[in-house]
Amino acid sequence: MVNTNTLSIRYLKTIGIVNNGFNGRGFANPYDVAFGPDGEIFVLNRCDPARRSAIRVGVCNLAEEYLYEFGYGFGDGDGQMTLPVAMAFDAEGRLLITDEHTSRVNIYSNKGDVVSKWGVKGDSEGEFNGPAGIAVDSAGLVYVCDQRNHRIQKYTSEGKFLSQWGVRGSEPGEFNLPWGIGVDISDNVYVADWRNDRVQKFDSSGQYLETIGGSGEGSLNRPSGVSVDRNGNIYVTDWGNERLQVFDSNGKAISSMRGEATLSDWAKDFFESNQDEMETREISNLNPDIPDHLNTPYHISSQTESYFWGPVSVRIDSNNRLYVVESNRHRIQIYEIE
Amino acid sequence: MNKDVSLMAHLMRRAGFGATRNELEGYLEDGYEATVDNLLDPGESGHMPDDIIRRYHVDQSELRQLDGAGAYWLYRMLTTSNPLEEKLALFWHGLFATGYAKLNQARALLNQIEMFRHYGFGSFRDLLVELSRDPAMILWLDNNENHKEAINENYGRELLELFSMGIGNYSEDDIKECAKAFTGWTLGNAEYMSVRASKDSIWPYGRIAWHYEYRADDHDGGEKKFLGKVGNFNGEDIVDIIVTQEATARFLSTRLFQYFASDEVDSDGELVISGMMEAYFQSGYKVSAVLRSLFNSDYFKSDKCMYSRVKGPVESVVGTVRLAGTYQEPTLDVHSLWAQTMFMGQGLLAPPTVEGWHEGVEWIDSGSLVERINFAAKELSDPTKDGVKDIIRRVTSNQKDLSDPEKLVDSCLDYMGPIQVQPDTREGLIEFAESQGAVQIQNGQPDENASIQVARLIGMIASTREYQLA
Repeated sequence: MVNTNTLSIRYLKTIGIVNNGFNGRGFANPYDVAFGPDGEIFVLNRCDPARRSAIRVGVCNLAEEYLYEFGYGFGDGDGQMTLPVAMAFDAEGRLLITDEHTSRVNIYSNKGDVVSKWGVKGDSEGEFNGPAGIAVDSAGLVYVCDQRNHRIQKYTSEGKFLSQWGVRGSEPGEFNLPWGIGVDISDNVYVADWRNDRVQKFDSSGQYLETIGGSGEGSLNRPSGVSVDRNGNIYVTDWGNERLQVFDSNGKAISSMRGEATLSDWAKDFFESNQDEMETREISNLNPDIPDHLNTPYHISSQTESYFWGPVSVRIDSNNRLYVVESNRHRIQIYEIE
Repeated sequence: MNKDVSLMAHLMRRAGFGATRNELEGYLEDGYEATVDNLLDPGESGHMPDDIIRRYHVDQSELRQLDGAGAYWLYRMLTTSNPLEEKLALFWHGLFATGYAKLNQARALLNQIEMFRHYGFGSFRDLLVELSRDPAMILWLDNNENHKEAINENYGRELLELFSMGIGNYSEDDIKECAKAFTGWTLGNAEYMSVRASKDSIWPYGRIAWHYEYRADDHDGGEKKFLGKVGNFNGEDIVDIIVTQEATARFLSTRLFQYFASDEVDSDGELVISGMMEAYFQSGYKVSAVLRSLFNSDYFKSDKCMYSRVKGPVESVVGTVRLAGTYQEPTLDVHSLWAQTMFMGQGLLAPPTVEGWHEGVEWIDSGSLVERINFAAKELSDPTKDGVKDIIRRVTSNQKDLSDPEKLVDSCLDYMGPIQVQPDTREGLIEFAESQGAVQIQNGQPDENASIQVARLIGMIASTREYQLA
């Protein structure tokens, strides 16, 4: 629980369990979430090449009902994905998914039907080299982090190129392998400028406004995702520090969280039928002191089950709930913002 | 063939995974002994950054499974600026062989490898203490079952037999006393972790990594008699006694000699080993001093030592890929490289038993030989790969024509190593070059067809018996 004068962030629950297969509830290296019109939570499962047959989108809800899943296999055929990174619903309720290997955006209906796709590999206008984060503004325009071209591109939801900004570099307005992207209620654009260890804020035309988390308190280490709530507070999955870093609307660091995951209903079901694991777990200290040589955020998170580990995305639903997606723990921690 | 280049190439085949001509030229500027010193004390090594790997490969961020973990280590071997650090870690991995099959915990294995990097050049005493505290080793040899009231001798026995002194230098009683001294040396949450390991459980949220824990209440603090000494020994005291033994110096020096110098130890080799043992004691058990004594010995630099070892599968794969210049950035199919090491008989992080792999000529059987040849030939006969391009450029630059197949073969052998081959091998290569027809050079540049011809010859050299020798 985090309380400041203006903001309270309360842990609600965890959803998830590891599941490599295309066979029902559970996630495999989830990379992003998006929210459907009827309370559905869409979860993008990136998987890894060795277990790639399970590449898919799983759909559940806050009550942890697993509703359905869809995927068309690993590859570059229609509807297929190779290295999916992020997703967002467009203004027509279609799901857009970026793929950094095929350098395209796949479009699906919210039931998972293949609709269309756009993008080819390249560095010209309208081409991608490793598209990563994706966000849609209030006018339905789409912003994509074009990772290895170190720029942001802006499109219509049909994939018509509108504009671009940024080049490789570390000065304001420049990028180094940008990852996540978010927009606020005024359609300002926030970019997790991953290898520059900062978030940059732009207006919707790409005019640079300010840098967040670049130094001092709350300074970021390889940020992966960024979202902004209706009051302008900024939430960043600080991937290299294995934490969620929160800034107020002025960019001042106001909170830092390591995570407090509990057992999901699916996890509880697992232990119901695996009592030997539950009994030995109950006598364990799952918040251990870590020896010095493993005393880094990454190693600590690898040993501390409740902490964020591999936080790759943060998104906020229409009910002001915050979702932190953890690739390495195959789950989503959910918080309520007040 | 230039002798200095040839000697430096030999050093890098042994203290590394071979070297490209660009790399050799850099080492030659420093000279032989300075290169040995740099290899033994390189400071921070450069390699593909962890964040770049982890962002691209989710499996290598989580490190839940064997293939991803093996590929992660391969990236380090393929891109490190200090190949001896990895080559020595691979040596310790073979000597203190700990495998995935029983642990189902790839991260713990990689943490062990990182420990080898950190302690591998230093005091053998510190290395053995860290090994005894290593969670993967503890579970691998059941020290989590070694209790004050009921000892389990497994780790104590292997520490003496396989890790430090060798059989015949201690008694069964020494083993028991050694085991007693290591009671209470376990891993955190040992009960839960061992149940998970035995069931290969990844639920609910993936694996939980391991760390060392000392349980004082489960340690036998009583008097022990070990190798003639008496005291209330704990594990560190046992290691302190082990490292002072001549048998330990001989065991360590011999194993290093066989790995870095020659599969067989003859009377000349025995003399080198004596020098290594002396360096061991004089330096306070420092592994780097033992290796320096070996690399600077006349024996090591002699013709007799060159090409006297069969490359291990990992050496072979890594050396070939480094020469080809591929996998220098995250690559989708890197886990299949790890699979290659498995097919060739040396699955990284998956040694067959605590005794490690049977090395030397035992690496080669008909199946694994075919895998090796196919892999090396395919990797190196592709003229689009950066490393192959560089060899072609060197072979063809400043040449008006390359119609003489002998000259072409010798030049390729030179820039691929240099690699020395037997006369009959050379004859065969010349015949192959002849059969392809003359390589055409126009304005000092090979045309596309010429590049393909030279690349095919490079691939053919990678298929020879001599290419499999280090």
